[in-house]
Formats: sequence, C-alpha cells, structure tokens
Amino acid sequence: MATFEGITIALSKGRILKDTLPLLAPLGIEPTENLDTTRKLIIPTTRADVRLLAVRATDAPTYVQHGAADIGVAGKDVLMEHGGEGLYEPLDLGIAKCQLVVAGPKDFDLSGRQRLKVATKYVNVARRHFAAEGRHVDLIKLYGSMELAPLVDLADVIVDLVDTGNTLRANDLEPLVHIADISTRLIANRAALKTKHTAITALINDLKEVLAP
Amino acid sequence: MSSNESNKTEQLTTSASGLWLLPDGVEESLPSEAAALEKMRRSSLDRFRSWGFEQVDPPLVEFIESLLISSGGDLDLQTVRVTDQMSGRMLGVRADMTPQVARIDAHRLNRDEVTRLCYVGSVLHARPDCFGGTRVPLQIGAELFGHGDIAADLEVASLMIETVLAAGGKGAEKLHIDLGHVSIYREMAEAAELSADQEDALFEALQRKAVNDIAGLLAGWNIEEPWRSMFAELANLSGGMDVLKTARGVLADAGDKVKAAIDSVECIATALRNQYPNIGLHVDLAELRGYRFHTGVVFAAFVPGTGQELARGGRYDCAGAAFGRARPATGFTADLKLLLKVSAATIESQPEAQERIWAPLAAGVDAALDSRVRALRDSGRVVVRALSGPDGKCQPDANCTRQLQRTGDGEGHSTGFSWELAAL
Repeated sequence: MATFEGITIALSKGRILKDTLPLLAPLGIEPTENLDTTRKLIIPTTRADVRLLAVRATDAPTYVQHGAADIGVAGKDVLMEHGGEGLYEPLDLGIAKCQLVVAGPKDFDLSGRQRLKVATKYVNVARRHFAAEGRHVDLIKLYGSMELAPLVDLADVIVDLVDTGNTLRANDLEPLVHIADISTRLIANRAALKTKHTAITALINDLKEVLAP
Repeated sequence: MSSNESNKTEQLTTSASGLWLLPDGVEESLPSEAAALEKMRRSSLDRFRSWGFEQVDPPLVEFIESLLISSGGDLDLQTVRVTDQMSGRMLGVRADMTPQVARIDAHRLNRDEVTRLCYVGSVLHARPDCFGGTRVPLQIGAELFGHGDIAADLEVASLMIETVLAAGGKGAEKLHIDLGHVSIYREMAEAAELSADQEDALFEALQRKAVNDIAGLLAGWNIEEPWRSMFAELANLSGGMDVLKTARGVLADAGDKVKAAIDSVECIATALRNQYPNIGLHVDLAELRGYRFHTGVVFAAFVPGTGQELARGGRYDCAGAAFGRARPATGFTADLKLLLKVSAATIESQPEAQERIWAPLAAGVDAALDSRVRALRDSGRVVVRALSGPDGKCQPDANCTRQLQRTGDGEGHSTGFSWELAAL
C-alpha cells in the first residue's frame, strides 16, 4: 500500500457516522462517495489530505491503536470495553449520548447474596464493575438483544446501553444501577499525535469550534 | 471462550497436532532476519562502547523482590514467575533489564564516580505491550549512573537518537523525539494537596489527554485556584518548542520546581535541535508514561506510521535506593526486533547475503586446499566444505555461488597446484 501522508480517520458506519459527518462538513471534509452505497472501505474526501476508513464500531479503537488510522471516532462504551491502552481521547464530541447501566426485572434485589448471572456484550466493563463491588458474577457474552436474557432466565441482570429506555420498559425491565455516562469521543493514536502534531491539532481545534455553541 | 473452543486451541498448540505452533506473542528469527538482527546488535553495542558505556550481562531470572522493588510497581503484572526448586522462593523472569542494571550499579559495582553501563538481552512480558505486539522483545539499552545534571540526560537522549537513526535506515529520517518531564505533574499534585486517589484518577485522564474528563474530575473536587486551571491546561501543553513558552505563562504560579522542570526540558530540546536539526522535536508536558518509575526528564523516539515508540528513556533517580544507594540515573531502552521491523519496512535493499564459497573436498584430504580454506575463513569469507551425498559423491552446496578449483600443471601432491576461486 502506498504511504498516505495525510490524516486517516476511522469511522464506524451507522449512527456514529451519521452524527459525525455534519461535524466534519464545516471543516471541508466530506466523503466523495455515498457511504450508504459504496463498497469501498477507504473513502477519499473533498480534502486531499484527509481520508476515511469505514470500520465496525467496536473496531475503531483497534485501528487507531495500531496506527492504521491516525484518529477515529468511538463511543465511550467501546473504549471502556477495549481498554484504550495507548489512545488519546482529546475531545468529547457530545453526540450519541446514553448511559451504561445494570438493568434487570423491576424491583430486582441486587443486594441479595446469590451469585449473579450477568448477560452483556461489555464483559470487561461488567467484570470491572462487579469486581469493584466485591461481587462474584457469572458473565454471559451476548452480541445483541440483551433484554431477552432475563426474560428467559438466561441471566439475572444485563449490562447494556440505555438511551430512551423504551426497550427495557417494553420488556418489564428497568435500569438498576448507573455505571457510566456515555458519549462519543474523538480518539487519537499516541504516535500520530506526536509525529503529525500540527495537522491533527489543527483538525481537533477546528472540531472544537464546530462543537462550541 | 467455551470449553470446546479452548480444547481445540489446546490440541492445535500441542505436539499431537504436528503443527508445533509457538505461544502467542512469541516469535523466532530465521537466518536472514537473525543475521540482520545480529548485525544491528553488534553495531549498537559498538556504538555504546565508543561512547564509553561498559557492557554488563544481568541474569535471565532473579528473585522476584529484586526485580520489582525499584520499578515502582509498573512491572509487577508484566513479570512471569516461577518457583525456585532450590530455595523454594519465587523467581521472576526479567521483563525489563533496567532495574537489574540499577542493582548492578548500586549494589555490585558500588562505585562513587559516574558509571556508564549498557546491555542487550531477551526479556519476557507476561502480556504483549498492547496491540498484537511481542512478548519476547530483544531489549537493548544504556544507563548513566551518578550524574544528576541535565547534561547526563542529554548524553543518553543523543545516544538513543543515534542508535535509532543508525538502525532505522531511511524511515528514521523522519524521526520525531518526544520530550516531557514527570516532575511537573508530580510537583503540582503535591502542591495542590491531591489525595492519592485523586492523583491516580487525574493521572489516568491525563494519560488519555481526555480534556473533558479532566474538567469533569476537577469540577467534582474541592481544589483551589490557581491549581484547578493549571491542571485543566496541562493536557493541552503539547506541541512544538513554543509549548514551553506557553507553559511558562500557564504554570507561572506552580512553584520553582515546576519552573526548573520546564527549564530542563527547554535545555535538552535546544541542545538536541542544535545537534540534530533534521529530526522533529515534540514537547509534551503531560506525557506520563513510566510515571511511577521516572523522576525527571523523559524522552521517546517515534517515526510516522509506526503507531508506537521505537525507543524511550529518561531519568529515574530513586531506583538505586532500594539497593542501598540512591544514585542519580538516566537511561534508555529499545527493542531491537522492533527497530529491525521499521528498518526492513523502509530500506529497499537489504544488505545482500554474504557470498558462500564451496570447497570440493572434505577436510584432511588435500593440505593445500585445507590451508587455503583456513586463510579464506580467517579473512572473513564464508567457505562451506563438501559433504558426500547418498551416492558417495560430493554435490556443491546449493547456496554457494563460487568454488575453489584446482589449477596448475603437476599431478603430484604438492608444489605444482594451487586452489583458486572460480565461478560455480
């Protein structure tokens, strides 16, 4: 692969992409292809010194950590689960805000002495959360439809993102414990921020101005 | 991972499968890579020697206490332990040679004068240093003990730059050096009377340069001005040399020690810029890698596109204290395998393999040939002796491009013959 001297940004398709592109547009960064239809994974932009990588949400920190992308956009939930070693988070984009919670059936007694079964896709976060409380839990890794697990006795509670809480309510569940406030962060590779400092800092500062009301 | 899956992995990695896989993060060097690695190892050690650094060779394993005591806890989870069958005590396989060398200086050599030591050897990390990295780096490094002045840091940083420049080939032309100073945050945390928990939490957020999180933390704490705004600004203090000027303004009220730290960074940055005008200099006053181990100036080498640092080092004045003598100390380390990877990725032509010469007879058959072979080998040439094949005949070695040929007129055993180089 020919070396690209500009800035490579890792973006995940879906909600984050939809919310991030309007922030990048005032900087003159717009994809030259329709992201919904293109099959290309490396997408040039209207700025020759910036290109986009279309990645899966949970992979964004990995691409940035390895230096395959200089900066990226990732949810705090993904960063917490990933560990974020060697990554900078210089900017909170304040988009896709939600909460990471422990949720379970209404009136579930979390203080009970029994060993909890916890279903989640955030196994590291869940392990850390319950370990900090001194609780032993059995973790069950799921990839989607977390809310189903307590309903069919696969698990006692779940650890998941809650936005409106509609899915929880529709299934007679409720948030029990707040773990963290989640928003979307701009992340940067440690080495890239040092070796391409001027370009990346300029981009971050421009983004800050777009975000400032 | 389900038990089914782990059984499968187990089967794949045992001898029964016939695949002979290596453990994760463990790799080996085949001839061409091993030759390049050895060349780099020798030239680096020769450079260290020419700068006056004496080589030491610390042991692969030590009692765990002496490996960990001076590392500030950073090495604890990285160190693989085994029980010593002789003493029943716990042994650690070294994860970093620096504390070993500090022990040698403080305890074994016990000199009062400035001591320069260097070393090379394999270390073992319990887990890869993040991203699919190696668990068995070939660590090389140099440490300077007994001098607390910035001049010592400058000497070590210069040696680090020369080592990376020589090893990194073309890619190193774009070398960037990152400079920082851990005392700035440490002094500020102390002066602002942060609790240990607060210091850790803020440290963690600073490591991520998470400006918004830092603001959030500070908002929840009862910290007085001017400390609050100084902590808030700290994460932004990175960039070119002009950052130092900004820092002097922003951190003006942080006290003499912080001012002295900024002075040291400026001093070393200026000296490096004069010595190496072509490298990129980056100042980052919130860079806190190795915070618990280091006590002063810290520096690291980066090249664009690598995603991680090629070498790093800095001052650590307290390491010797655990061994009875707190000596001023500064040094750097690098992973030769990583350096080689970067140079291989950027140098178009690898140094060509050395020519091999085939000697068509086994040793002891022809005295003239034997002495010619010896002379060639002594002069550094590669000579491969013939080995007979299954049919009793000698086939030339496949990797040889030249051979020794008998020339001359006589048919006897002596004078008329000579063995000359010819194409094969």
